[in-house]
Amino acid sequence: MKARGVLTTVAIVAALGGLFAYGLLRGEPDRDIPSALIGKPAPAFELPLYEAYRGEFGETLSLDELRGRPLVVNFWASWCAPCYDEAPVLQAYWQEYRDSGVVFVGVQTQDRGKRAEGRAFIDQFGLTFPNVIDDDSSVSVDWGLFGVPETFFVSRDGVVVDKHIGPVTPAVMERQLAALLR
Amino acid sequence: MKGPVDSGAVAARGQFVPVAPARSPSRPRRGTGPALAAAALTCLLALGAALAQAVQLDSRVFEIARQLRCPVCTSESVADSSVELAQQMRQIIKQQLEEGRSEQEILAFFQQRYGDWILLDPPKRGLHLLVWVLPVAAGAAGVAALVVLGRRWVERSREPVEVDPEDLARVRAELEGRSE
Repeated sequence: MKARGVLTTVAIVAALGGLFAYGLLRGEPDRDIPSALIGKPAPAFELPLYEAYRGEFGETLSLDELRGRPLVVNFWASWCAPCYDEAPVLQAYWQEYRDSGVVFVGVQTQDRGKRAEGRAFIDQFGLTFPNVIDDDSSVSVDWGLFGVPETFFVSRDGVVVDKHIGPVTPAVMERQLAALLR
Repeated sequence: MKGPVDSGAVAARGQFVPVAPARSPSRPRRGTGPALAAAALTCLLALGAALAQAVQLDSRVFEIARQLRCPVCTSESVADSSVELAQQMRQIIKQQLEEGRSEQEILAFFQQRYGDWILLDPPKRGLHLLVWVLPVAAGAAGVAALVVLGRRWVERSREPVEVDPEDLARVRAELEGRSE
């Protein structure tokens, strides 16, 4: 009877200890949460474009105008260091894939009033895909953004198929573009 | 909500007050005192009402923001965080309150975009229910265990105690010896 009581106590303590260790070791649990947007229509937006793109796209860029084309929507800010790491990757894949019909859209967000910094960012990497300004970060809330950079992949029929948190790498771009253009 | 409108009216009245005595210099001074006091009181009341309205709106914004997790600093609520995204989320809450949306509708707005993750208190359904039910169940089980154990102790204390007659005799003898 007594031995059974001790065994039960040890089992309960071991189980709780195991749960605690699992919680400690599983890393950043919050970042594992998938976007609530995946499988849903991409939230529409119409945002002002940087001057460099107005000749081709007009004063503003509306997501509705791009319906029927696969999209890579990248959110960035001029203060975000990883955004500087991924910008050349985005530009390289845009150049390689633009003829396949896919459209890249850069959205400067969580960066209120930082136009000069935004322009400097675009110039530094010679970004030729359209970049828009989400000055009050409202689009970033509509897209359920956690931070920057985040990149969403939208299918031809306007559905968010996947999202990448953190800077994109060539491996991520290869995989996601292959899936989008399938 | 018409907070800003009210404070505009207050400003207009505030400008009017010092002008009044200048416009009628021949009036007896006796009348201006109460008029001034009344105007000042009206100003104060209007200002107070406007402030109260603004404070009430702000406190409702914070009440809702406190229930939302900040997406950037994930251990803070939207009410506590000072990052740009949290500021914008508070602005959205304020706008939606002004449009007459309910607290539930506003929470649902953010839930649609961020999932259940955005709620600091998990919703009372599905697997989340465990978080709400388990502590109550554990508390109830603890109380039940205490009641059962307590009863057992009480019952045990009521059972007649068997004592060896020899020991009893010895104790009696000792006690008698002591009382002498």
